[in-house]
This record gives sequence, C-alpha cells and structure tokens, in this order.
Amino acid sequence: MDILIFGAVRGALYSLIAVGYVLIYSVGGILNLAHGTYYMLGAYLTYIFYELLFGTGGKFILILSSMLSVLTVGVIACIVYYVLLRPKIESLTYVLVITLALALFVSEVMSLFFGVAGTSVPSFVEGSISIAGIKVISQHLLLFPVALVILTSLWYLLKRTKMGQGIDAVAQQRDGAVLMGINIDTVNLIISGLSACLAALAGTLIAPVSSVVPHMWVFPLIKAFAIAILGGIGSLGGSIIASFILGYAEVFTSFLISDQLTEMVSLVIIVLVLLFKPYGIMGYKLG
Amino acid sequence: MNLLDIENLTKKFGGLEALLRFSLSVREGEIVGIIGPNGAGKTTLFNCITGFLPFDSGYAFFDGNDIQDKKPYQIVNLGLARTWQLVKAFFGMRVMEAMMVPSFSKRALSIHSSEKARQEKIEKLLREMGLEKNIWSEVDNLNQGELRLLDISRALVTCPKVLLLDEPFSGLSHKEIENISRVIQNLNNEGLTIVIIEHRLKELMKLVQKVVVINFGKKIAEGIPEEIVQEPPVIEAYLGKRRTKVGLA
Amino acid sequence: MRLQKKSAFLIQKESPVVLLLLVAGSLFPFVSDNFFYIEILKTAAIYAIFAMSWDILTGYTHEVNFGFAFFIGGTGYLSGILNSFFSVSPYLAIPIAVLAAGIFGIFIGYLTLRLKGPYFAMVTMVFASILFTLSFIFTEITGGEEGISGLDTFTDDPVKDFFLIWAVMAASYFVLRLYARSKHGIILKAIRADEDATKSAGINTAYYKIEAFALSGTLGGLGGGIFAHSQMHIGPTMLSGEISIIVVLLAMIGGMGTIVGPLLGAVGLSILNEYLRFVEEYRLVIYTGFLTLLIYLAPDGLINLKFIKDSKRLSFIFLGERKSK
Repeated sequence: MDILIFGAVRGALYSLIAVGYVLIYSVGGILNLAHGTYYMLGAYLTYIFYELLFGTGGKFILILSSMLSVLTVGVIACIVYYVLLRPKIESLTYVLVITLALALFVSEVMSLFFGVAGTSVPSFVEGSISIAGIKVISQHLLLFPVALVILTSLWYLLKRTKMGQGIDAVAQQRDGAVLMGINIDTVNLIISGLSACLAALAGTLIAPVSSVVPHMWVFPLIKAFAIAILGGIGSLGGSIIASFILGYAEVFTSFLISDQLTEMVSLVIIVLVLLFKPYGIMGYKLG
Repeated sequence: MNLLDIENLTKKFGGLEALLRFSLSVREGEIVGIIGPNGAGKTTLFNCITGFLPFDSGYAFFDGNDIQDKKPYQIVNLGLARTWQLVKAFFGMRVMEAMMVPSFSKRALSIHSSEKARQEKIEKLLREMGLEKNIWSEVDNLNQGELRLLDISRALVTCPKVLLLDEPFSGLSHKEIENISRVIQNLNNEGLTIVIIEHRLKELMKLVQKVVVINFGKKIAEGIPEEIVQEPPVIEAYLGKRRTKVGLA
Repeated sequence: MRLQKKSAFLIQKESPVVLLLLVAGSLFPFVSDNFFYIEILKTAAIYAIFAMSWDILTGYTHEVNFGFAFFIGGTGYLSGILNSFFSVSPYLAIPIAVLAAGIFGIFIGYLTLRLKGPYFAMVTMVFASILFTLSFIFTEITGGEEGISGLDTFTDDPVKDFFLIWAVMAASYFVLRLYARSKHGIILKAIRADEDATKSAGINTAYYKIEAFALSGTLGGLGGGIFAHSQMHIGPTMLSGEISIIVVLLAMIGGMGTIVGPLLGAVGLSILNEYLRFVEEYRLVIYTGFLTLLIYLAPDGLINLKFIKDSKRLSFIFLGERKSK
C-alpha cells in the first residue's frame, strides 16, 4: 500500500521532469543535457529568492519565490538556447557537449556558493498526513495536483491552441512545418523555456523535502533519458506512463531488494532497452 | 553461367509493396539495364541484393552463394560491388586515401597481396577514369562528374565480378555521360558483368544488351532494347495510357 | 608518388610543436627541481593520455564517448584494489587492469556501437554511472566516498616517476599517431565520412569501430591506472561524470581527430588549472567556465581554427605531415 503511494509520488515528480525533456527532443531534436541542471536551479533559486532576496516572510513569499524561480529558469533556458545552441544546432555533438559543459559549470558555481552540504527551504505545506495508515509527507502529495494541472494544461496547449498545433507540426514533420511558414526558431525557443520551467517546477516542489546539493542534476537527467526511451520519443502520453513505471520500479526495488540499488534501476533500464530492444518499448527504432 | 540469380524477391515497407516477386537472372559478361518510373523499386532492389535492406521473401544468389542474410561488406567481398545514386563519397579525405579504403577489403587484399600491387591498381584505375590529375586532391573539391567516376573507381578496387551502377548518368552533362558510357563499355568488354539502373533511356539503350522494366515493384517486361521500348506496358508505365511509339531517338 | 613508407613514421612527419614539447618536458627536471612544477607536468601528461586516447575513437569516427570515466576509474580502481588488498606491485597491477579494460572495451563496444549517435553517447554515460553507483554500494572494497588510499607509487623518487609517466605519454602519442596513419586510421576516417560507402567498399565497419573503442579504452585505462598510483589514491571522482566531461572538453578544445590537438589542449589546460590554484576557492568555477567558453568560441577545437588550417606553415608546425603536391 505504501508502495502504491510512494511510487505514485515519484511518478508524478518524474513526469514533470521527463515530459519537458521528451518535448524538446521530439520537437527540436535537442538532447539537452542541461535539463537536470534546470531542475537543480529550480530548487536552488527558490532558496536564493526566499532566503536571500526576501528574507523569511511566510507562505506567500515562499510561493512567490517558487514561481520566480521557475520563471527565471525558463528565461535562462531561452537564453541558453538562443546564445549557445542556435548557432550550431545541427551538430548534435556540439549540443551534447556544450549543454554538458554548462551543467558542470553551474554545478561548480552552486558548489562555490552553497557548498557540498546543500541548503534547505521550508515546505509549502507542513507536516504529513496519514493515508490508510501510512505517513505521507504532505509536500509530496502536493505533486499530484500540480502535475495534473500542469500536464493537462500542457496537453491543452499542444492540442487546442494555434501555437501548440504549430509545435506539434514541427515535431511531426519539420520540413513541412517550415513550408507552412512556421518559424522553427520561435518554436524551439518556446519549447526550451517551457521544458525548463517544468523541470524547475519539479525542483522547486521537491526542494523542501529533498537534499539540495550541487550534483543533484545528474540523476534526474539520466532518469529523464530512461523515461524517454521507455515511453517513446514523441509520445507525451507514453512519457507520463513511463514516468510512473520508473517511479514504481524504483520504489519496488527500494522496498523489496535494497535501498542502495534504487539509483541503478534507471541505469539498468537504459542498458536493457538500448541493447536488447533497439525498437524501444513503444516501437521507435533507436539503433 | 548465371552470376546473379534473383527469384521472387519481395520487400514490403509496412503495407507498401516496394518489390513484389521480382525475378532476374544475369549471365556472366552481360550488360543489363533496369528501367522504370520513379519509385518503381529499382534502388530498393539494389539495396536488397547488396545487404543494405533485408527482404521479406524470395531468393538471391550471387555466384552460387546465398546472399540473403549477408552483410554488405561480405557481399562486396564475394565480388558484387555497387555505386550510389545519391553521391556518397569520403568527404574530408584525399582521393588517394579514399581509394585506399576499398583496397583494404578482404577481397582486394587477397587478390593484390602486396601494397605495391594495390598502389599500382589504384593508380591504373584512376588513370583509366581520367582522374589521375586528382590523385592528391581533396574529395571535397571534385565536381559531380568526377565524384561519380570516383564512386565507380571505388567499386572497382574491390575487383568485382558484377558491378551494379545506380543512375550513373544523373546530374551529368552530355560530355560527361559520353565519357562514363565509354568507361562502362570498356569495362564490359574486358569481361565485367554490369547492371545499370538509369532514367536517361536514350543513352542507356545504346549501352545494354538486355533491358528489364519495373513498375510498382513488379517486373513488367524483359527483352532487348529495340523491342522493349515498343511494349505497351512499358509505354504505359512511362507515359500513361497513350498510343505513342517511343523510339530510340 | 608513394603515399608513405611502409616502415614506421619518419620523425620529420611529426608535429614539430609536439616534439618540442616532449623534449622540453623530459628535460625539465634537469633545469628545475621544483617538485610542485614536476607534479603539475605529471598531471598534465596523464590528462594528455586521457584526451588522446579519447580522441582516437570520437575524433576519428564521431561516435561520442561520454563515459570515459568507465575506463579511467575502472582501471584505476582495479589496479588500486589489486595493490591495496593483494599487494600486487603497480608494475603488474596496472597491466592486468589495462587488459581488463581492453576486454571490457571489446565487449561494450560490440554491444553499443550499433546504436545511433545520441544513444551511443548516452549509453556510454550510463555504463560509467553504473560503475560510479557500484563504487558506493560495495564500499568495503572501494572505500565509498573516500576511495582507496595508500597505493604504491612506481619508484621511490617522484622525479623518476615523472620520467616514467612522461615516457608513457610520449609512447601513447606515437602509438596513436601511427595507428591513425595506418590502414585502421584511414578506415575510421572513411567511416566518419560515410559508413555506408565504407561498407560498400568491402570493409567490416563494425570491427574497426570496436577496435578503436577498445584501443581508446585500453589507453585511457592505462592513464587511469597510472593516475591512481601517481596520486597514491583512487576515489569516486575518477568514475564521475565530471571527469568524463572534462576529458571530452580538453580533447575537443584542443581539436578532435588530430591526436595533436588533444595532447596540446590537455597539457595546456591542465597547467592552467594548476596555475589557478592561487585562487583555489574560485578555481573550479573559473576553469569549467573557461572550458565552456572555449568550446563555445571554437567548437571544432583550437587546432582546427581557420587561420591555422589555411596557413600551410602553421598547419605544418602544429600538425606535421606535409603531404606531397
């Protein structure tokens, strides 16, 4: 029973991180290795805004800091796209290397300012509640409604609005989209920002109850990739399902086998899928 | 004897039948042309028999060997070489280096066992193709015609028994086509079996002894050039249902 | 016109700058007995081994290896474990570990090189992460966060150690250059240009890619083993993503696909890194920021900058090999 809840919490968290990652890969063809960094910055910036800029000031300030943090990361992502990536976006190697270099640099900067020990932020909702006899941290539960609202809005954005349909067109058939007059650059820019915001949102929500350390960008990145190849590139629904699969798989491993092996789950999934099922699980050829 | 035996070869892409029970036999020393409208399946055929695409059913034998599940490099080493419709060249290297690559194939290594022999073969080939002045040029600096000749030279370094040429004339000027035709004719005179896919019918018909016509993945005609151009299905395939005589001119 | 002599390379075909560097480095201990500088050169040499061996795969085939830490740390730990737990001398432990690196290289290369570009890159990262995670699970053997200390050095004299390491670096350089000029290198370049065309030239491309991957891993592992014993310590940083990225950056900033570029880049930037110790607190931030900036400004690497490529003289000074005609 507790597995049920904890797995779901993880799934929700991961879906926020992974959806953006998959989005920008399907649409822009950009494998953004700084994605984990956006997640990390979401957490750190919340702390920076809350503690440093406003000083402590109650729940309202906290939420404000959180939103500012998400927005700032979005802006940073747009700048990164515009300045660093756009000039040489055809070269996948370059994109991979520079986003990774950036991730390393930001990690070092955070290390410098906040040390390896990390920082902490107060929760939006304090304490924990009991569901069916299991103690669940309320902050974790917050992830559900947020993820639900955000992802539904995203779906709505993509399917119903004009901008969203433009994005969809680029994802499906880039050359065709160009001919239709859709500006690829703008689409990439919007997607970069959006995707980073999602990651930052996940970061800011989890910050109060998780360790905020300079190397917290590594594993979310790996997990996002695992979810991407599990759920199928290009399938948002698939990514969400895959997020939950991963979430549950990790919780199962943690409860039933060993807590230490939790981080191995995503790694093993990647190896198994890429090496033994090059068609992925949803049928996209990866090899 | 038949060097190439293709029997009922079928290749589907999902629901699309790219090749349907296609059969063809090529005798040693023949020079055969394959024609058909765009998308008829000609390049798919080449890709299937050179190991670049798996096919769904049928048989393909080269020089007595079953080539169905073989990898491209293995098929080349049996003596079946091909050129590419869309230019594929070793950009970023020099012509001489590019020509050394096929000379490192198992087949070339066994036929020309010393480095000197390989070197001489490369120089001889480049001379025959008229590319000897380009030996040290960068591949990037060659023009379309020279790149085609280089592609053919690349294939020839592996000492093939059968050479598959995929639209060798495309994108070339008349003079360049004349040049390449002459080269192809000489190669065939020296005993090389050749199969050519082409769209430039006039130039092709002058070169080949036998013509095979494909449309929608099926063979619709086979015979000597003069007869083929008058067959109704062939005319229909190219021009639609019209009663027009397509001459050799 | 003959392309090249069949026997080993000729000295005059080699990069003058590199030769100068190799000679200057080996003479350094005679003109200075500043141990600090000698340590810096040792580290620079080891990073040069890392960068060069990384280059022979990625520079020549464009298959990007993001998990070089697998070979660096893997060999380092294996050699360290042999030395620390079983008292095996580094002179034996390192070769054994390097052999293991080679075998793993062949195995992993065989499994992964058929994946498309980005997926290959990610899976290499994953293999390194797996080792990294394992090192925190089997802490009794690996020492967890602290790693393994007290490893034996090669000789009792740091200067002698330096000569050994510098020699290994020089040897690696010549071996890799020879390999790159040989049939293997030409085939790798052809694969990089167009793999299908190479296959249609009768070449078993999978074999050559795996071979390059294994060679890359083996030499990288050699560097890792040497690093462990020269520092007398091996820790999880040698298995981390950080070191994988740094090696990539050093090699790319130097200039992929040349061996010379990565050597010069690694040596130059490592020395810079040490030089920055006077602002130790900010060192890593400045260093990583600088590397990021450099890769942004010169994505193809410094040695591939237009003004060098276009100048015959500069080209020769850095890269050697003036081809005839």
